[in-house]
Amino acid sequence: MQATSGTNSPHPSPAQQAAAASDPAIDEVVRRAQHGDVEAFESIYRTHAPQIFALCRRMIGDEHEARDLVQDVFVRAWQRLPTFRGQSALATWMHRLAVNVVLEQMRSTRRDVARFIDDADHDSFSARPTSPDERMDLDRAINRLPAGARTVFVLHDVHGYSHDEIAQMTGIAAGTARAQLFRARRALMRLLDL
Amino acid sequence: MNAQRHLTEAERHDAADGSLAPEQQATVDEHLAQCASCTDDVARVRNFMTRVRDDSTHLDVDLWPDIRSRIEREKIVQLSATTGEMPAVGRRPVGRWLALAAVGAAAALILVVALPRGKGNEVGPTTADPMSPEVQLVVDSTREYEREATILLNELELRRAMIRPQLRSSLDHDLRAIDDAILELKEAIARDPNNPGLRRLLASSYRQKVDLLKRVGG
Repeated sequence: MQATSGTNSPHPSPAQQAAAASDPAIDEVVRRAQHGDVEAFESIYRTHAPQIFALCRRMIGDEHEARDLVQDVFVRAWQRLPTFRGQSALATWMHRLAVNVVLEQMRSTRRDVARFIDDADHDSFSARPTSPDERMDLDRAINRLPAGARTVFVLHDVHGYSHDEIAQMTGIAAGTARAQLFRARRALMRLLDL
Repeated sequence: MNAQRHLTEAERHDAADGSLAPEQQATVDEHLAQCASCTDDVARVRNFMTRVRDDSTHLDVDLWPDIRSRIEREKIVQLSATTGEMPAVGRRPVGRWLALAAVGAAAALILVVALPRGKGNEVGPTTADPMSPEVQLVVDSTREYEREATILLNELELRRAMIRPQLRSSLDHDLRAIDDAILELKEAIARDPNNPGLRRLLASSYRQKVDLLKRVGG
């Protein structure tokens, strides 16, 4: 399968959430999956996997690890789907679940979400490319960010979470999240020669 | 901030992503109207954000088969949520002795994994070493138990809806404990393939599973 995720709206707007939450066809698929229908759950996978992969890929910075995490996310979604009550759109629920799975993985591998871009880190990734050949694509540039800055940047600028939501999920202060975001943007702009 | 002072870094980013506080908006707009430097920088940040949003990521492999496989393993446990009635085929609750057995197996596993072994504490696979006859014997019996457990599980699935809910719940719990132990043992064996103690524990766990399924199946 090849699926592409445009990254501008995997974290749905309130209007999208409301529309999705009230779609009877989706409700029926979710209800069947909640009762153990694996084919219905496969349909949920097909719909949401690209967005979940995009999130994992960007947050964790490694393609293969991201694929493993996508598996973990969907296995956990299968286990927890009976607790989904439909107060939010399934996409939002899945997305939050994925963020939690990735953050758990980062903590278990001691990648400190709260870590600032300190001076040493800054030196290591902020050098401006000197030739067109050195210009990197966005994914490679994001991968060069420290875990904390990458997490905040991906959650805010790519997936549309607010600083308060990020603070709640990661355990860092909202002000810290903002500072991380600003520095991450500047670093990426330098790396991308923008 | 006033119209003369340049915007702070935070104000520039907030202006770019539209998150300025309402009380800041007028002052920032006023400054931007007369400061090319800040206006250019806000535009740069905004362009960067547009590029980020327009970027796409491809998932070019189908992960569903692996996910489904993991889900199918989980279903053994999750089936306890289903409803149904069936005459009890086993009279005694199977939970207690199996829970004890599972705890014993887990404790033994910890001991086997933690204790130093003959050639030292190496945990890496030694697949190049030939398997000893003793280990081979245990491996063969494990395969046999595994095969038998699969057959019994398939038979049980056909009759599952007729099992009393209480017994079914107890059965699921015990199967889960055994399966967890089996999974841990397999992971330990992957790290230390020629450890006969681990192999014996794995065979023992499968035997417990077979015994349990036979008891429930009558």
